[in-house]
Amino acid sequence: MSDVGIVRGCKIPRDLYYSVEDHTWVRTNADGTVTVGMTDVAQNLAGPVLHAKVKKVGLTRAKGKPIGTVESAKWVGPIKTPVSGEIVAVNEKLADDPQLLNRDPYGDGWVVKMKPTDWDAEVKALVTGEEAVQKYKEKVEREDIKACDHIE
Amino acid sequence: MKQPIRLIDAGRIPYLESQTIYHAVAYAMTPETPDTAILVRPDTPYVCVGFHQETEREVDLDYCREHRIPVTRREVGGGAVLLDDRQIFTQWVFHPEHVPMKVVDRFRWHAAPIMATYGDFGVEANFRPINDIHVKGKKIGGMGAAAIGNAEVVVSSLMLDFDTRTMARVLKVPNEKFRDKVFQGLENYMTTLARELGQVPDPEEVKRRYIAHLEKLLQRPVEEGELTVGEKAMLSALNERFSTREWLFQKGGLVRDAVKIHAGVWVGETAYKAPGGLIRITLRIRENTIDDLAISGDFTFYPQHQLAAFEAHLRGKSLEPAALRNTIEQFYTAAKVQTPGIEVEHWLTVFGQLLDAVAKHS
Repeated sequence: MSDVGIVRGCKIPRDLYYSVEDHTWVRTNADGTVTVGMTDVAQNLAGPVLHAKVKKVGLTRAKGKPIGTVESAKWVGPIKTPVSGEIVAVNEKLADDPQLLNRDPYGDGWVVKMKPTDWDAEVKALVTGEEAVQKYKEKVEREDIKACDHIE
Repeated sequence: MKQPIRLIDAGRIPYLESQTIYHAVAYAMTPETPDTAILVRPDTPYVCVGFHQETEREVDLDYCREHRIPVTRREVGGGAVLLDDRQIFTQWVFHPEHVPMKVVDRFRWHAAPIMATYGDFGVEANFRPINDIHVKGKKIGGMGAAAIGNAEVVVSSLMLDFDTRTMARVLKVPNEKFRDKVFQGLENYMTTLARELGQVPDPEEVKRRYIAHLEKLLQRPVEEGELTVGEKAMLSALNERFSTREWLFQKGGLVRDAVKIHAGVWVGETAYKAPGGLIRITLRIRENTIDDLAISGDFTFYPQHQLAAFEAHLRGKSLEPAALRNTIEQFYTAAKVQTPGIEVEHWLTVFGQLLDAVAKHS
């Protein structure tokens, strides 16, 4: 089985945790922090991102609260954190090149790193592996989300 | 039985509340909140900047202060706009599962009852993706969308009339030449019900027709309602927050180096340091052609009087690089001009910079 699930052309890496409803992903890091970002499906729905504004390091955010906002050609919306915790790093590159969110949503387009405060409990609400791919598939089909375009 | 849409006809209210009202309904949204459509007019003109814009960079604040035009910020994207009571704002605050998933479909959906209302007055309007409404190629309004709180919001307006002169005046622009290009652009490529009909229609009649179309097109009953206690409390809190300097002057970082007139028409300005000197071009672009332009700088153009002829030669020509190269080469050959240190390549670079600025925002 490939490490990356594909749903209507959108990439869903199986090694990440997802909040499918909020279109965010979480990667666990060796130092106990987690990296949070927007999914490929989210960047596709938003379209080319013109501007991204990320909250500041040191801020504590409860699950579901915004860690940043993105503005595409015509839509503004929050990126909601799928886990509670303190923001310990933000992706400074997004200020100059917000389309990293479109080009590399799981890599250079990461949004924040957080020190989670309730990971063991909150991870239960996230999905990973094949379950994540299936859940995303259901959502994309239920809501008839268009196939992913990837900008280079 | 389909769930009714709550209609809040807020009438003419203080300018700030014409913004905070839909934010308040969105932020106070609970699972029990009905999908809501708000109709509102501000009682004084004001300028509203997009969520990520920097106010000082976009708005001529001295002018606004002198003319007592207040300025505020919305949580919806896009550029700075002048709003007054000659527009009836349509603000939909819906549960996310009740709006079309794709943003462009959401705009088409929001535009439908607006266009049908114009149709009742004999004005045939059509949707121009992504987010414009046009009448015979002229823009009669735009739309914006945002996720606010737990709600999805789409906003637009019924355009009774529009003050193009003040709109062009409140924007911060590099120079008066640029301002004139924006003003002429608005004059040429915007329209209103008043322009189409020769008179301003009765706002109450426009609203009545809009509400009827809303009910019919969304196939849901529309019931007049009011803000709840919770929404009113949120409104007071937001009135306070939207009045702070921190809110107005927060660093946005979204720089728009071109001003959109409508989906196909932009005004931009750029400068380029060529070996022969600085070239500055203010350009109005229409559907990838040069609609109007002004060239200045400190380069040598010999004979000097041919610069105006060069501008005239470029008007109406395609900006497609190969075609533009031909156009410029033709002029150099025919007019026998000399521009030391400025080659055709350099002109193409300046125009290319402007096209990039526009492409970034369209």
